[in-house]
Amino acid sequence: MSNALRILTVDDSASMRALLLHALSSRGFDVVQADDGQAALQWLVTNDVDVIITDINMPRLDGFGLIERLRSGERHCDRPILVLSTESSDEKKARARAAGATGWIVKPFDADKLVAAVRRVAH
Amino acid sequence: MATNLILPEKPINRITVMQGQARVSAGPQVEFNTVLGSCVATCLFDPEVETGGMNHFLLAEPPKSHGQVNVDEHYGVYLMEVLINEMLANGAAKHRMRAHLYGGANMRAGMARIGTMNADFARRFLERERIPLVREDLGGSSARRIEFRPAHGQVRCRTVANTMVQETPPTPHVPRGAGDVELF
Repeated sequence: MSNALRILTVDDSASMRALLLHALSSRGFDVVQADDGQAALQWLVTNDVDVIITDINMPRLDGFGLIERLRSGERHCDRPILVLSTESSDEKKARARAAGATGWIVKPFDADKLVAAVRRVAH
Repeated sequence: MATNLILPEKPINRITVMQGQARVSAGPQVEFNTVLGSCVATCLFDPEVETGGMNHFLLAEPPKSHGQVNVDEHYGVYLMEVLINEMLANGAAKHRMRAHLYGGANMRAGMARIGTMNADFARRFLERERIPLVREDLGGSSARRIEFRPAHGQVRCRTVANTMVQETPPTPHVPRGAGDVELF
């Protein structure tokens, strides 16, 4: 059985998913990917992860909605959730924090900083 | 005696989109412009909210062979996302967006075909994101000047002297705030 931390990345950009996959899997993480909040939510009904990394602007269910839905249930109410977004306004960060996000990372991401943040928040 | 008044038209606010930038506007008097060599500019337009935007990127994606996967504002993969997010923030919807692509020239024979790689990336990106490409003027060996009216989706593309292009080679710096981590 693998001891690798399992990360779920949620991003509607296929190119960004590919970059995240490379950055995380090359550093030993087990990576699962969803292309929006709704797909992530469905997958998380029957699966577990150590950390979730989510974009904000996505179709169907955005990052704020995903965080709120996960925090309102029992299964993932304590799961570390990092937001990874091109946006950096205080208003958006405050909204994410109020929804229950664990942290905020500004794109473009620095792979080493991203990995350090993931390891720090993983339980 | 009747007098025909000729009212002066409102001046056009011309904004240059520099390499590494993405701009969005719904202003009817706004015009984005840029000059491209091997760089590519993407123009996105949502006709329902009459909003458009342009980006201007130097390179497509960071090479996968590099150990580091740091994506900065030189790269299309970052600037495409910034442009789409700005469009969404201004009321556009992804399924209504239409795209134009310009640039991607290979201006120096014998050099790496960066223009072709940029053009191929931009086409692939739009295909993956399911954003219809309605017009392109890519490739060749000549520089182009692009003028885009974002509120109308109108684009003028013309060839200009290659000496007008000032493409700055990538420098290993990260934009301010990029990659910053804030734990709550």
